[in-house]
Amino acid sequence: MDPVCKRIRKHILHVSRVSGHGHIPTCFSVVEMIHAVYRHMRHDPKNPTWDGRDLFVLSKGHAALAYYCVLAEAGYFKPEDVETFGHYGTRFGCHADRFKVPGAELSTGSLGHGICVAVGMALAQKIRKTDRKVYTLIGDGESNEGTVWESLMVAAHQQLGNLTVIFDHNRSQQRSLPIQNPVAKFGAFGCHVIEADGHSLPELGTALRADSGGKVKMIVANAVKGCGCKTLVDNVFEWHRKSPDEGQFKLLLGELDAETV
Amino acid sequence: MRKQFKVTVSDLAARDDRVVVILGDISHFLFRDFQEKFPDRFYNMGICENTIISVSAGLSACGLHPFAHTINPFITERSLEQIKLDFGYNRFGGNIVSTGASFDYAWDGATHHCYTDLAILRLIPGMEVMQPGTPKELDTLMRSQYSNGKPSYFRMSDNPHGLDLPVEFGRGVIVQDKKAYLTVVTAGPILANVHEACKDLPVNILYFATIKPMDHELIARFGSTEFLVVQDAFGLQEAVAEVPGLRITCHGLPDEFCVWYGTVHDIRKRIGLDAAGIREAVRKRLAVVG
Repeated sequence: MDPVCKRIRKHILHVSRVSGHGHIPTCFSVVEMIHAVYRHMRHDPKNPTWDGRDLFVLSKGHAALAYYCVLAEAGYFKPEDVETFGHYGTRFGCHADRFKVPGAELSTGSLGHGICVAVGMALAQKIRKTDRKVYTLIGDGESNEGTVWESLMVAAHQQLGNLTVIFDHNRSQQRSLPIQNPVAKFGAFGCHVIEADGHSLPELGTALRADSGGKVKMIVANAVKGCGCKTLVDNVFEWHRKSPDEGQFKLLLGELDAETV
Repeated sequence: MRKQFKVTVSDLAARDDRVVVILGDISHFLFRDFQEKFPDRFYNMGICENTIISVSAGLSACGLHPFAHTINPFITERSLEQIKLDFGYNRFGGNIVSTGASFDYAWDGATHHCYTDLAILRLIPGMEVMQPGTPKELDTLMRSQYSNGKPSYFRMSDNPHGLDLPVEFGRGVIVQDKKAYLTVVTAGPILANVHEACKDLPVNILYFATIKPMDHELIARFGSTEFLVVQDAFGLQEAVAEVPGLRITCHGLPDEFCVWYGTVHDIRKRIGLDAAGIREAVRKRLAVVG
């Protein structure tokens, strides 16, 4: 595991421990994806509203804690600022508020919205003839929402080659409505599809740099919910929205250090 | 009114390169010259109203002034969460322009009726809600509000009321002031029937093309009178009632789907919103309040 991504996971565990909030397994699924985007795209933590920045939208808004910890790692704010996560009056709600979180482009939470707004942002860059890029992260559960597919049809039809969608393929919807054969599905919708290991920064980096030939780029990032801790992976439903007590916190930290998954 | 929308937005687009039109696969024939003139700022996005709203919010996020336009129930009731979150909660400005008010598409049945749009959209914080009654009113309101950084809803109708009134955003109009004990309040195209019903009756008539923000000052000026709200869509009565202490009754819509087809005039007659039905309701109220 990349040492920075391990540090981000420890930060997630710590914040969840002290705040009593957090979707830890889904956060652990996307750490490398968000971190890879922020390593790749143009942005300036010291000037979050810089006109020339690329845009990232966290469409699967419930991974906000992972997003905050990546932003903290990137220098948007201090890691300890996030410890008030979910508390009354905090800047760091369990879903991000773009007016409170430096670097957040959109307030998200209800699934199937962020990707559609990201399509609009990408279309705006095309209209304004800029070279800014737009990135968004969607979940496989989120992809049960019809708007995900509506917006992909629009994006493909408008040939938004400046839009990259990362699909967190952690198979969380096996319990209800799985997205079968996502590579074929997204390809059929007109996307340039690249499959990658969702926990490999080199593979994600290669995918992010790849030329999509003017098409919408869809990175199907194969991932493991709870990646890093065997306890989380083996009990994803129990841990869906649960924060650890002191004993569990030590157990999870130990598993993370030992890289049990 | 749709033709006026095209004329107004074409003029705005010529003056302001941030104006972008998004259609939900209606009015595209009407907008063909707009498309020829501004090909980079015209998108017939297809029949996907939820996405049209969210994409418009994304355009707004990047400094553009979107006009999202399609049939009323689909762009408002169907897309309420997109309007609430992607425009409202995120505080992006933009313009949502519907066509097919209340029973304009009577012949299509209840799937195409829309009379909750004003009521639900006025509940979204920061939202501006307008129901112009004529093409001229649409033009005035659209020009004054389209780029003010707020989400603005324009409810168009195919049945304008035909009166020439000095409408401006956020202000009501006194159509008739007879220093009467009863004040009839109405909004949008149904004013035609209200005016015909009441012009020779001892009642005041107030008219509103802006539902939110409501002109509290004008309402309060008549606060000592009884109010009768005559509406063909929900929302006006609640907006009037924002002023405390009023005595308000309402003549409006039945608690049933209006499934009789025909024209808007057939439906209005059936539910008592033609001139005769309104006159009867006003006279009944006059008999009670004196």
